Amino acid sequence: MNEQELHGKLSGAGVAGLGELDTTGPDPFVVVEGSGIRPVLSFLRDDPTCRMEMLHLVTGIEREDRIEVAYHVSSLEHHHSLTLKVVFPRPEAGGHDDWRPGVPSVADIYPAADWHEREQWDLLGIEFEGHPDMRRILLPDEWIGHPLRKDYSYPSEHGGIPLELDAVPMYERGPDWEREEKVRKAKKEERKAGTPLRQPPAPGSDRPHAGGQAPASSKGQRHVIEPHSGDDDDGKSGAH
Amino acid sequence: MYAVEEKNDVFTEELKLNLGPQHPSTHGVLRVELKMDGEIITASRCDIGYLHRCAEKIGENVTYLQFTPYTDRMDYLASMNNNLAWSLAVEKLIDVEAPERAQWIRVIVAELNRIASHLIAFGTYGIDIGANTPFFYAFRERESIMALLERPSGARMLYNYIRPGGVGHDVDDQWLADVLAFCDEFERRWKEYNTLLTNSHIFIKRTANIGVIPKDVALAYGCTGPVLRGSGVKWDLRRDVPYLKPYDELEFDVPVGEGTHGSLGDCWDRYWVRMREMMESIRIIRQACPRVPDGPFMDKKTSGMYKTPLKPKPGEAYVRCENPRGELGFYVVSEGGTSPIRCRTRAPSFCNLAVLDVLLPGTMIADGVAIIGSLDIVLGEVDR
Amino acid sequence: METIISFVGEQFGLEGVLALSIAYAVCIGSLLGFITVYAMFAIWMERKVAAHIQVRYGPMETGAWHGWAQSVADAVKLLFKEDLIPRSANKVMFLAAPAVVFCGVFAGFIAIPFAAGVQIVDLDLGVFFIIGIAAIEVIGVIMAGWASNSKYSLFGAVREAAQVVSYEIPTAVALLVPILVVGSFRLGDFNAFQEEHGWLIFHNVWMPIAALCYFISSLAGCKRAPFDLPEAESELVSGFHTEYSGMRFSFFFLEEYASMFVAALLVSTLFFGGWTLPFLDVTSWPYGLAQGVGMAVLLVKTFFFIFVQMWLRWTLPRMRVDQVMGLGYKYLVPWGFAALVGTAVFEYYGWRFVPGVF
Repeated sequence: MNEQELHGKLSGAGVAGLGELDTTGPDPFVVVEGSGIRPVLSFLRDDPTCRMEMLHLVTGIEREDRIEVAYHVSSLEHHHSLTLKVVFPRPEAGGHDDWRPGVPSVADIYPAADWHEREQWDLLGIEFEGHPDMRRILLPDEWIGHPLRKDYSYPSEHGGIPLELDAVPMYERGPDWEREEKVRKAKKEERKAGTPLRQPPAPGSDRPHAGGQAPASSKGQRHVIEPHSGDDDDGKSGAH
Repeated sequence: MYAVEEKNDVFTEELKLNLGPQHPSTHGVLRVELKMDGEIITASRCDIGYLHRCAEKIGENVTYLQFTPYTDRMDYLASMNNNLAWSLAVEKLIDVEAPERAQWIRVIVAELNRIASHLIAFGTYGIDIGANTPFFYAFRERESIMALLERPSGARMLYNYIRPGGVGHDVDDQWLADVLAFCDEFERRWKEYNTLLTNSHIFIKRTANIGVIPKDVALAYGCTGPVLRGSGVKWDLRRDVPYLKPYDELEFDVPVGEGTHGSLGDCWDRYWVRMREMMESIRIIRQACPRVPDGPFMDKKTSGMYKTPLKPKPGEAYVRCENPRGELGFYVVSEGGTSPIRCRTRAPSFCNLAVLDVLLPGTMIADGVAIIGSLDIVLGEVDR
Repeated sequence: METIISFVGEQFGLEGVLALSIAYAVCIGSLLGFITVYAMFAIWMERKVAAHIQVRYGPMETGAWHGWAQSVADAVKLLFKEDLIPRSANKVMFLAAPAVVFCGVFAGFIAIPFAAGVQIVDLDLGVFFIIGIAAIEVIGVIMAGWASNSKYSLFGAVREAAQVVSYEIPTAVALLVPILVVGSFRLGDFNAFQEEHGWLIFHNVWMPIAALCYFISSLAGCKRAPFDLPEAESELVSGFHTEYSGMRFSFFFLEEYASMFVAALLVSTLFFGGWTLPFLDVTSWPYGLAQGVGMAVLLVKTFFFIFVQMWLRWTLPRMRVDQVMGLGYKYLVPWGFAALVGTAVFEYYGWRFVPGVF
């Protein structure tokens, strides 16, 4: 069966919460209401003509105006597969890092979903209601925030170890080599002047929250790079 | 010195054992918390994430082409297959198909890398069981494969060779001839492995009836690859959902577990599936090498993206590939920009590892090591 | 020993305690030297054997010829390595354990005859003494495992205790078979007997069984693969010596190779003729030459069995705990007893082979 027939089958069975089939992209998908994901998946798994034995993936996708949770299921017996999606529109107010959409967990229907849901909670902050063991999976338990969110604020320290705030992450650097050169030069100057290595970035910094909690007042405790000559100039020395 | 004051001073309790993250046989930095009753495991809990390198976050910040080298580093033992899956996902998104020649080259390098990856699985499994020698035999052949793959790609392990639109460089006829020569050599060596390890009585005793994954459990937990086939499910994407055209035209079998020495789906079955898959890969390579057609090795339209970043239409693509460890899936969501807004990976090791907590309770610690080894995980892929 | 005492008395006129202590010092010094040099050689040999089994060369650079000085370099490195003691370890026991372990094996060497008369003490109960004193090693290993305050060490120690103590039974039973034939526990008597009647392994049909039983259980006693459960690198990191480093670690190493030597030597002495060769009668040769040749013959035999031990280690996978125990109690002990009873019957009737069958 292709996606069209599967969608027809689902709507024919009268499963609650079923939405439309979207065929605009290369991969069609079926939109499902949050409350309908469990009955739909149960039906797909148990119906002899569908027989979706395997759940491949649970994915959270954050977009401008919404967060989507996608489920990829497929059948080994009938060689067909289907993508289901639950959509959460972003609320008008407060729809940022602290907004955690909730969707019913399917870990008891597909045990495979257990770890996938934990990962989506860990990285995207999607709550799976009724999950047996909702802990972080990849990040440490004490981690704050969900790093795959677009407005995730990078921490200034972790476990008492200050993270390098001066360094521009490679993926933020992009192809702008001039900017990197500028940063490197500024660092070199700073080092020659003997100023403390870690300082809050300039107010015009475009990186969100960067250095917001930087311990600027702790001059005495920080490592101070001695202005010795012949120093390497690639900014490695910040990694104390 | 330490006098026992009361008689009921002597008592037994469960011992909590941390297997890993630094342990010789967790294949990287896996940590398993075990509750032990003597030698027997009563409960286990996997703890992963020690090798988390934010690959998905990086994927959202680099261009489509720039992400290809990062896929190398996920399953670093089967980089070609990872490149392949990513390239296919991007190609699906931009609606491009690689030229014929590129497809055949892809098949050959992917199968070569599959053999190399299974050789590691075979060698390290021997070490897990306590036989050190197979490892060196496996590495001898892997060395030849790496030398072969180095010639077109320039790298030995992290190739970045298969790229969206085709392959990085062309191969010559001499290379194809050398690949065929390697196939003959390997067939002879493969028999040595079986003499050394497969048919060893102690090895069979250690792996048969250990870590049995029934068919329904394997499906429910989303196990794929040799783990699923070891449980007797004849499912191979190369055969069932051919993601490259040549796979449709090639002849090969899908080895499945048969419960030869114990129950269906035990460690020995998984191991034996891998061993036979190597020979199937050899069969595929043998057929593919003479059939590589002439023509371009890179799609003209796509090669433009090496100058200006690619901007696919908004949409999403999910592509699955049969990796040595199972089905690798890339779910790429584009909103029209130069980089995807979501770049989700379905890592086969991640899904296969989830079944570990079900298998471990009730086994001995030595069996636990054998089970972890038989799942053949790569932590780079589990944690991404 | 007596030779040295009388030699000291004749040459220097020393008697009593002084002569005795000089004799002890010479004996123990030469024994220590022998064990150290032997262990270095055996480690080099192990690396070479392993390497050639594993299609590689092994050490080739250190020293001029095939890396012969590799073990010397390793020993120097181990000597100068930092001697780490875990903070939460029980210090006294942690420090004492390697010494206890080494003492057990070292004491066993006292009763070993290398050639006719080349022996420190010719004990009446030589065989009994060697396998008895080697059991002290278990105490040391348990001390090491417990004092390290590491769970892996504890696992290794408990496994060692269970395994080695269990395998004492098949070891002893299998050794009783040649003892029954010879009628003596004195190791020198075995050589004399075999000089006269031929190698004991060919004495009757039960002997090969007893020899095999003994060899397998001695592998377990030495913690060699496939019975290296107490160390079990892939399971227990490094077993009972996980926390040891430097010289203390090397004591455990030394102990392993020394006990391999004892086991191999017992096999060659008890079953394979000791220092005798079936076609070469050296008893009439001059004193020094006979001893030299005898020693060489014995060492060649011993190193052959050490080679077999290494060969097995690099070929076979490791067994599981319950399988090791099962092998010991279900196969080796019954077969050992069968060999013992069978030999007794055969000796009584004077048979060599099963009459009427072959």
